[in-house]
Amino acid sequence: MDSLIKLWFSTGLANFELGQVVMMLVGCGLLYLAIARNFEPLLLLPMGFGAILTNIPVAGFSEVGGLLHYIYYAGIDTGIFPLIIFMGVGAMTDFGALIANPKTLLLGAAAQFGIFATLFGAIALNYVPGIEFTLKDASAIAIIGGADGPTAIFLASKLAPELLGAIAVAAYSYMALVPIIQPPIMKALTTEEERKIEMKQLRPVTKIEKIIFPLGVLIMTIFFLPSATPLVGMFCLGNLMRESGVVDRLSSTAQNELINITTIFLGLGVGSKLSAEAFLNVETLGILALGAVAFSIGTASGVIMAKTMNKFSKDPINPLIGAAGVSAVPMAARVANKVGLQANPHNFLLMHAMGPNVAGVLGSAVAAGVLLALVGG
Amino acid sequence: MDNMQQQFVEAGTLMLAGMVFVFAFLGVLIIFINTVLARLAVKFPDAIVVPHSRTNKKSKSKSKTTGEISPAVVAAISGAVQRYRAQHSQDK
Repeated sequence: MDSLIKLWFSTGLANFELGQVVMMLVGCGLLYLAIARNFEPLLLLPMGFGAILTNIPVAGFSEVGGLLHYIYYAGIDTGIFPLIIFMGVGAMTDFGALIANPKTLLLGAAAQFGIFATLFGAIALNYVPGIEFTLKDASAIAIIGGADGPTAIFLASKLAPELLGAIAVAAYSYMALVPIIQPPIMKALTTEEERKIEMKQLRPVTKIEKIIFPLGVLIMTIFFLPSATPLVGMFCLGNLMRESGVVDRLSSTAQNELINITTIFLGLGVGSKLSAEAFLNVETLGILALGAVAFSIGTASGVIMAKTMNKFSKDPINPLIGAAGVSAVPMAARVANKVGLQANPHNFLLMHAMGPNVAGVLGSAVAAGVLLALVGG
Repeated sequence: MDNMQQQFVEAGTLMLAGMVFVFAFLGVLIIFINTVLARLAVKFPDAIVVPHSRTNKKSKSKSKTTGEISPAVVAAISGAVQRYRAQHSQDK
């Protein structure tokens, strides 16, 4: 009889707590979004499964000795996984559109206003009972506005590791929701005539420009913002491997096998932070709300900047491409192209929107470096 | 309350410093692209690649691997086009 009782107490049924069940359902929700809705499935699937694993009673996945515990501390706490992913993103990025039309860097800069404006929102939420965000927490939450998953995870792991799960879920969910969140804002801020604007064809970019560009960006980061060099440095390494043309095997590994393997572990590691005590609280609701605000402000400021530039530029600029400044490569550029096509079926904005889109990646990495330098010390 | 006010002031300072820095950094990058990269592009233009098929007269044996259309196929197509045009003009 004793052994039967002992066996019963070793089962999951006897040890389940309500919070764990709820978090498993959250994990199932993420799996649903990934599988049925195709929302950022590469990350939400392992993240959702990680959330289920970490909430299994008795198994101790996220306790010392558990698999997820080691994955988290080896790859996310140290910041290694997001940086490896950033290298892969660099190897996938073509800066041609940006080099051909460098003015679009200003759109990538303007869209970062979403990040800094959200800092106020995060601090203001401290008026709500049960929420207590420090400036470090607020900075980690605000980076969701950068719409860049690896940057958000990197910064959150440095500034507010206890909020990492909620921040990563919010960042990736909103990135998946770009086609739903952005178009109404873009349409509200532009006229039909503006959306119809056709842009001048981009000039061809030479190989030497594409090789020197990442080196130039790195040197500038070393001089002006060394705190951003982990992110920018890995990004530039990946891009140089791609553009140099002499290490195709390394470039291919960085943008395929390596980024895929790391994505599996990154997803599981973030999922391990989705425990009931860390996730089921008012602060998570606040983070989800602030993420949406950050994203919307970033989109709006990018569009407004593009409108302003269109007024003063000798070459026409379609304001829709400003929305792509929030990063979220290449989804935001595709959305700009789609909304442009709705207004003018002959207007293909995709290549023009890729400029601010990759500028947004650099902009959010620079913004993360600024936050790290000013708040992280 | 004072603490909250202080946090708002800090957030405001951070926002101002952050936006100024992001614009300055990416602005310098624009200057870098417009000066250094643009000059490099003029000085070291990409070599113009001459299509292989034009210089290769013995294309018959390689036509399958290079994707070049063989003269026989070209002759057949132009013959068919001529016949179609002739027929079309007769119809009129």
